[in-house]
Amino acid sequence: MLNVDKLMVFYENAIAINELSIEVNRGEIVGIIGSNSAGKTTLMNTISGLLLDTKLKEQRKGGERITIFGRISFLERDITDLWADERVKMGIVLSRERHPVFVESDVEENLKIASYLLSRPVMREKIEYIYKIFPALVPLRKRKAGFLSGGEQQMLAIGMSLMANPTLMLLDEPLLGLSPAIQVKLIESIVAIRKEAGVTILICEQFARPVLPVIDRGYVLENGMLTLHGTGEELYNNPEIKAAYFGV
Amino acid sequence: MKENYRKERIARSIKARSDDIYALTSYREMWYLLFPRVIPIIGIALVAYFLPLYWKKVIITTCIFAMLAVSWDFLSNCGLLSLGQALFFGIGSYAAGSLDHYLHLPVYVTIPVATIMGGFISTIILLPVVRLRGIYFAMVTLILPLMLMRLIEATKILGGTEGITGLSPFPNVWVEITLILAAMWASLFGLRRFIASDYGLIFVSMRDNDRATMASGINIYAFKAQSLFIGSSICAFCGAFMTHSYQFTGMPVFAMEFSILPIAAASIGGIGTLAGPLVGAMILVPLSEILREFGTLRIVFYGLILVVCVVALPEGIFHYASRKYNEMERWVKIE
Repeated sequence: MLNVDKLMVFYENAIAINELSIEVNRGEIVGIIGSNSAGKTTLMNTISGLLLDTKLKEQRKGGERITIFGRISFLERDITDLWADERVKMGIVLSRERHPVFVESDVEENLKIASYLLSRPVMREKIEYIYKIFPALVPLRKRKAGFLSGGEQQMLAIGMSLMANPTLMLLDEPLLGLSPAIQVKLIESIVAIRKEAGVTILICEQFARPVLPVIDRGYVLENGMLTLHGTGEELYNNPEIKAAYFGV
Repeated sequence: MKENYRKERIARSIKARSDDIYALTSYREMWYLLFPRVIPIIGIALVAYFLPLYWKKVIITTCIFAMLAVSWDFLSNCGLLSLGQALFFGIGSYAAGSLDHYLHLPVYVTIPVATIMGGFISTIILLPVVRLRGIYFAMVTLILPLMLMRLIEATKILGGTEGITGLSPFPNVWVEITLILAAMWASLFGLRRFIASDYGLIFVSMRDNDRATMASGINIYAFKAQSLFIGSSICAFCGAFMTHSYQFTGMPVFAMEFSILPIAAASIGGIGTLAGPLVGAMILVPLSEILREFGTLRIVFYGLILVVCVVALPEGIFHYASRKYNEMERWVKIE
């Protein structure tokens, strides 16, 4: 479904992603595991097209020069030069790092903003569906998003990306800054989303322990390079991964 | 597979360098450092001394606006977004004017005294609002000069609407030009050095993140007051200088022009560099003089040039030029 072929991204002279090739098949949950500065967020931004926008902005103000090589294709179509909004229309939706929500709007308004592409009846249906997946959001529906806790904001952020009707959902560090209990809950809902909505999910994380059991396949990134690739189980039992990402 | 090329940037740095000592090893390196500093100084001085009298006056106005722009940029570097350079300028101007008119002090006393006094008065006026951030501080500084202007009109103090005329002039135009050029370069290089020092680091950090600065145990309001004093003193000097140059002070010194033009100069020259606003003023003020022959269309052309500058070079002229001067670019092959 998604093919990333020999992707290279340079920030000025520093290389962020080096000859990375990954593949995501329909219906899978694929994990990208890597420590800080491994290039996870860059990869997510490149796949979602946000990096093209950053590139243009930097170019106009003469800042960092971003260079992208390689090919990204989605559903057999080359999307390397497509803008982020077009990619969203094709079904690639990114839930960004650090759960960005519209802090001045309440939860329901946030979901409505995210459903810009849908018709009204579909939107209502979708909102109900999201409340079903995240029942914790129901009592908060009239609360301003800025007053939610980190976990609730993360649920809302994932809910917002679901509203855009994704076929491929990119989750950038969904567990960042959450307590272990909430992490487990969130992972459960991610599995539920895959099962019920039939959404393919690409999730990148540095907390490998809660993520590895639920993913079908995983890639391990280090300094922008692919070091390991295997099924979730293989990676879970790999002693190197245990030493590096489990903290044991 | 087709070959991929990428443009690489390399800093054109000086070879032997430690933390704060530059060890220059050749004339070439010295020239590399001196060129962008010495050439403008000599160039502007040559132009200023050898032009006819009318253009000499234009150069003086340009230098005054350049100093206002540098001071605006310094304040914005310290996290104080000011829309009221006219306030500082006007206070300095009125201070010099009244010292001359009422106390009959000579020029070489009124200008320094007005500079310090203007700095003090401006700082004290703005001290209560220094806790406001961003747009709120800007709003207050925008309103204050307009308020003072009406205050003078209503109470008829300090000459009222007539202003104070017949003030003592400079001995001659050469002294005038030398003084303003020296002041302009001193304020530019002084502030640049000041901001680069350890003490100046605090001022810049207040703009980047004032909460983090507070969390480091620094009383940012004391530092904001200091930066306000430095910035407003420079403007007050300009005001005092202009007063003696035109031998007049009056309500026009609080005009919006003195607040807005420095900001325009800073935004086309490059905000945050101190030298950029100076470059911007050096372009804008003479340009507006040249456009004078178009009559009413002047503002149209002026506005067009501003728009083109901001759209084509949003980073500012100085940022662009310094990037081209300090960095080499070359194509490199990937793999």
